[in-house]
Amino acid sequence: MGAVKQAIYFLFHPTELRSIIQWKVWHEPVHRRDEEKESETMKSCFKFLNLTSRSFSAVIQELHPELLVPVTMFYLLLRGLDTIEDDMTIDMATKEPLLRNFHKNMEVDGWTFKGNGPNEKDRELLVHFDDVITELKKIKEPYYVIIKDITDKMGNGMADYALKGEEEAHGVETIAEYEEYCHYVAGLVGDGLTRLFVEAKLANPALLERPDLTESMGQFLQKTNVIRDIREDWDDKRRWWPKEIWGKYVDKWEDLFDPSKRDIALQVSSEMVLNALGHAEDCLFYMAGVKEQSVFNFVAIPQSMAIATLELIYRNPEVFEKNIKIKKGDACQLMTESTQNLRVVCDVFKRYARRIHQKSDPRDPNYMAISVKCGSIEKFIESIFPSQKPEVEEAKQDEVSFTLKETLVLTFFVLAVLGAVSALMVGTAYLLGVKFGSEFEEFFGLRKIATDTITSAITEATETAGGVAHGEL
Amino acid sequence: MATKKAVIPLGRVMVIGGCGFLGHHVVNMLLRDHQTTSISVVDLKCISNRRPDSDGVKYFDCDITNLAALTSVFEEAKPNVVIHTASPTAQGSGASAHALFKKVNVDGTICVIEACQKTGVTALVYTSSASIISDNKNDLIYADERWPVIRGKAQTEYYAETKAAAEELVLKANRQDPYKLVTSSIRPAGIIGEGDRQAIYHTVNIYKEGRTGFQIGNNDNLFDFTYVENVAHAHLLAAQALLVTTSNSVVPLDHERVDGEAFLITNDSPTYFWDFIRTVWSHAGSPLGTDHVWHLSRDLGYVLGALSELFCAMLRKPPTFNRQRTVYSCMTRYYNITKAKSRLGYRPLVPLEEGIKRAVKWSLEKQEKEQ
Repeated sequence: MGAVKQAIYFLFHPTELRSIIQWKVWHEPVHRRDEEKESETMKSCFKFLNLTSRSFSAVIQELHPELLVPVTMFYLLLRGLDTIEDDMTIDMATKEPLLRNFHKNMEVDGWTFKGNGPNEKDRELLVHFDDVITELKKIKEPYYVIIKDITDKMGNGMADYALKGEEEAHGVETIAEYEEYCHYVAGLVGDGLTRLFVEAKLANPALLERPDLTESMGQFLQKTNVIRDIREDWDDKRRWWPKEIWGKYVDKWEDLFDPSKRDIALQVSSEMVLNALGHAEDCLFYMAGVKEQSVFNFVAIPQSMAIATLELIYRNPEVFEKNIKIKKGDACQLMTESTQNLRVVCDVFKRYARRIHQKSDPRDPNYMAISVKCGSIEKFIESIFPSQKPEVEEAKQDEVSFTLKETLVLTFFVLAVLGAVSALMVGTAYLLGVKFGSEFEEFFGLRKIATDTITSAITEATETAGGVAHGEL
Repeated sequence: MATKKAVIPLGRVMVIGGCGFLGHHVVNMLLRDHQTTSISVVDLKCISNRRPDSDGVKYFDCDITNLAALTSVFEEAKPNVVIHTASPTAQGSGASAHALFKKVNVDGTICVIEACQKTGVTALVYTSSASIISDNKNDLIYADERWPVIRGKAQTEYYAETKAAAEELVLKANRQDPYKLVTSSIRPAGIIGEGDRQAIYHTVNIYKEGRTGFQIGNNDNLFDFTYVENVAHAHLLAAQALLVTTSNSVVPLDHERVDGEAFLITNDSPTYFWDFIRTVWSHAGSPLGTDHVWHLSRDLGYVLGALSELFCAMLRKPPTFNRQRTVYSCMTRYYNITKAKSRLGYRPLVPLEEGIKRAVKWSLEKQEKEQ
């Protein structure tokens, strides 16, 4: 987008602009890198971090000093592996041993790789990999062991999948295979990170006893990516959507990209979204085990982005046509919300769960299942942060009574004073980019109802609500 | 679904209201999943939902408010477990409906308790209702058994008031010397299934009449519905647990006891109110999405309900739509069933959507036959 175009866009989307300003101006990093103390090779590592990661570089650099370098190194190693795996110009005979031996090469002083194709965007990282190796050797032993272990497992997993893809050009068959793939590319990362967090005493050690929660963190992110990237992967002739799911709806994979079959393609994507949402509750549970703010931000931001992305792609035909992304304003709002606490992140999940079910179509065979899943996420959140207590019901009965006149006079004065004060405060705060709750927006939001249909609606309304709601025996 | 029969034998089981909606499912499950010595059914008139004679179920026509008659049935059938499901349908207002609620739910239950005590019954499981903790206007969000039962003036539904009164009596009868009777109460929320002429049957009707084109409220309100077999299952789990309790010499610890306790039972799948309704319509054959749907706010629905009440009052006929129904369709009402899970080992056997499918199929067939 050109600058002018962007300016016009934001002129008509002021709330988005506000979210962006709010994030940029008000977000205070928990920790900051101290560049003065960094060696030349370390600076080079951060340069590559910024080059290779759009979404993660900022949160990584705000991490607790204890984990800043280990996580950066971990990220660069995995990015290095990814750059080899992704590059279709490298033949399998070269690729396989490279992936499998990456955890050994990472110990060889001065090791670099210049075999990437010229168009590979992260090529430079491997060309200067010796800088990464130099810094890697300086990190504490326990962190190093964890990082090496995961690099080993991931390299081998990637090699297995690269071979598979070579042999059978069909792609993933079963849901189990799909999840295995997600495990190699994301679940393992989660495993490594959890071990790093616990080792640094920044997360509850109990997380190590619940590997299923850690696994869900990775699965949720990776599944979201796989669903979102369907068009890109189709163009690259790769397929990660398991046949066990789409085979129920269409005979041929190509059918999903046939504009005349969009309805059915959307139903397939609904089931993919439903499958991914299955991890949402585990993710919230996992985040409850994180003790330190910067680590919380680091894990929560991608999770919030993921559920928002799922909402964006759910029942959205564009997903089969192009690469879609959440709006920048929404992303900034999500980042602001994901850098507070678990309660705020739960609110994000609840908000998006509701938006997802609101997009549902009763003709979609996954309609009820999605509703139950979204309800289940809400229910889970209630189990952590109950919004009601048993006593509340009793308290409601003691109401103070006023006469009508008293009430009116009182109400008038209270409202007048409140109105004046809040107009002043809200106005000032809004201008400064302070965040308001959804109630506020709803208040100003439009809810259009045509009055002429109301009369006919009376008869229509007659019974639907009745009887149904009242079926308890 | 369990193909193997449950381990704990139930002995001689009596189902009161065993020809009714819930009761006949209890009978079916007893035959299918449980070891019993005999099964007897008490109902006002044992006509509908009867098992074939080959199943060996004994049917007794009896008014449960007649203590003498009921006691003689008990003496003949000699049950050691009684499942008391009898209740009139919750629909209806006015003095005659209220009198019936009181008579069957309260007076009938008093007789059942007395008959149990006199004839040496071991375990009594009573069908209460999750609605007894609702005041029918405020939301219930993930409510559990700690929530107070709403009684008296605060309880706007007289039906719920009578169910609550009966539950209180049943639970008070637990471990009352010199009787060996132990009791539990099951509080199901929104039962659906084959044989139900209320919830799903009614909703299917609305589709048939082509009135699917509107929605009151924003549809973000979660609601609990429960498939009838799951409710029946919970009753039988409670019966088993009560038998185990009495066979132990020590009184159980507070956090694991079943006797004298009430249990909320749902499908553990709260769904958004209108999503549920539309799922029913889809299974009934509706080809429509949501494009044709008018969204009315809760407040507008309330005003319409009031107008309808006024209008009908002028015409002197009972309103089919009213403010309370608007409130129900906009209300959040779902429960936390952790207690039933941990103490009874309850898990819903049939998922909600499967339950809806079966209930819709039954309703469609029924409506077909009646045309």
